[in-house]
Amino acid sequence: MRSIIVFYIVTIIISTFIGFLLVYFSGLTAHPKKRGEKKEVDLSTYTVEDSLEKSIFEEVKTILGPSQRSLELTKKISQVFKKELEEKINYTKEELSKKYETIVEEKTRNEEIAWKKYKEILSDKKETEAVIRSVAEGLVVLDAKGNVIMINPAAERLLGISSKEKVGKPLLEGIKEEQLISLVRGTEENKEIELISPNEETKKILRASSAVIEDENGKPIGMVSVLSDITKQKELDRLKSNFVSNVTHELRTPLVAMEKSISLLLTQDIPEPQQREFLAITQRNLKRLTLLINDLLDLSKLEAGKMQITRQPSSIVNIINEAILGLETWAKTKSLTINKIIEDDLPQINVDPNRILQVLNNLIGNAIKFTPSGGSITVEAHFIRENNEVEVSIQDTGIGISKEDLPKIFDKFFQVGERAYTDIGGTGIGLSIAKEIIQLHKGRIWAESEKGKGAKFIFCLPLE
Amino acid sequence: MEKASIKILIADDEVDFRNLLKFWLESKGYSILDASNGQEAIEITRRDNPDMIFMDLRMPVMDGIEAIKEIRKFNQEVPIIVISAYVEDPKVKEVLEYGISGEFYKGDDFQKSLVLLESVLKTHKRLKK
Repeated sequence: MRSIIVFYIVTIIISTFIGFLLVYFSGLTAHPKKRGEKKEVDLSTYTVEDSLEKSIFEEVKTILGPSQRSLELTKKISQVFKKELEEKINYTKEELSKKYETIVEEKTRNEEIAWKKYKEILSDKKETEAVIRSVAEGLVVLDAKGNVIMINPAAERLLGISSKEKVGKPLLEGIKEEQLISLVRGTEENKEIELISPNEETKKILRASSAVIEDENGKPIGMVSVLSDITKQKELDRLKSNFVSNVTHELRTPLVAMEKSISLLLTQDIPEPQQREFLAITQRNLKRLTLLINDLLDLSKLEAGKMQITRQPSSIVNIINEAILGLETWAKTKSLTINKIIEDDLPQINVDPNRILQVLNNLIGNAIKFTPSGGSITVEAHFIRENNEVEVSIQDTGIGISKEDLPKIFDKFFQVGERAYTDIGGTGIGLSIAKEIIQLHKGRIWAESEKGKGAKFIFCLPLE
Repeated sequence: MEKASIKILIADDEVDFRNLLKFWLESKGYSILDASNGQEAIEITRRDNPDMIFMDLRMPVMDGIEAIKEIRKFNQEVPIIVISAYVEDPKVKEVLEYGISGEFYKGDDFQKSLVLLESVLKTHKRLKK
């Protein structure tokens, strides 16, 4: 653009100059004599004002010689030329500045549009990034070579790696040995990855669902994987399958005892006291079976969130006595003593007596189960004036609960390690039901224990 | 050998089952010792030297598997019949190498335990001779 303008100006200058020369030469041939007089000029006093005048003068001089006339002519030519030039320049300048303005305007407009679009894209990008960042599932994007393009914070956490270190590198490069991806199962699209760690607590099982990213021609250009932590789900699966086998065992044990007693009663000649004993065995196991079935029914209510309580003014002492009465024969078979420490004049509480009885059956039943022969169980009840609540505790001299297991005992299906493998059995739902019942009464339940030192279960119920 | 002088140890933490089996075998003339866990079973075996053991595998304090391992350290002779809670209980496999004379499934008729016991005792006696 600029070079064209310069060329344009130069062409104007040269053509104007030539034009003037031509005019001058035509004048020369018309009046040669009149203007031919030669006059000496003192050229030492002559000063050319600028290079333009100088070059015109040089030209004029070759034709007219170094005379005053030449000088004047030079001046004239120069003035006319300059004037003309100035006009042309001004005009060009104006034109140029107009053009420039239009260009600038257009450019500004384009820039504004571009900026607006850029901002839109930027905010879109930020939005997308925010979405990716806040997705709870881990997201990993790999290019066709398997190098990491992007890892979101959830994936960083799940894999225990940092995005900064990984971008541009293969995903598995440099993953610490303790996090070694040891097990990869499933199809290409759906993998289960087990992140092994020496610490059982931090061991993770991840499910990776992957999809190939293709460009518009269907050529694979990378892969996007969604990682979800399925450790808890797996644990729940395990607990549920344990639960099923425990329930089977829990159903069979009393059935075997009942079947055996009845068949002995029917087929053998049994002395009277033994007959009574066998009937007692049958009755006890029937009760055990009933409690189990009630628990199972409650479990389905619990899962559906449909467990309800019907409150009525009740005496906690009566409920405790009823629970102990029902479980006494069972305790006797293991030579366990049940002690009561119950405060006089306990106030009435507004609770569902059947549900509280269920909780007590559960807690005292557990105490009987987990206390070896000859031990003792102590049931206490107090009124806690400052909280306006009644506190009931059941303490045993049993095998106790380890520190690791203590926080989990109220979890559904959870069973303390060893117990699941013994005939003590249990389904692992009793305590979770007890907890639900107490919470429905707006009360609290917790346990205190040490392995080998017995266990104490405590619950508090507000008076209202 | 007089039946009454034959001592049989029943180790099972399920009191009702243990008492019923005890009653049944006593009614057939045997003398019964009982234990409610592996630890007790070891002590009684050491002290009373039973002629045969019925051992439940799942027990608290010490399970039957551990108890069998311990007993075999000082007594390779005594026949042991394992009591299993399930048909084809996978736990039974774990004790096979310690010399097991038979398996009695809890759901089976008591008559079966008697048949098993007598055949084991007979074989054992013959072996002893």
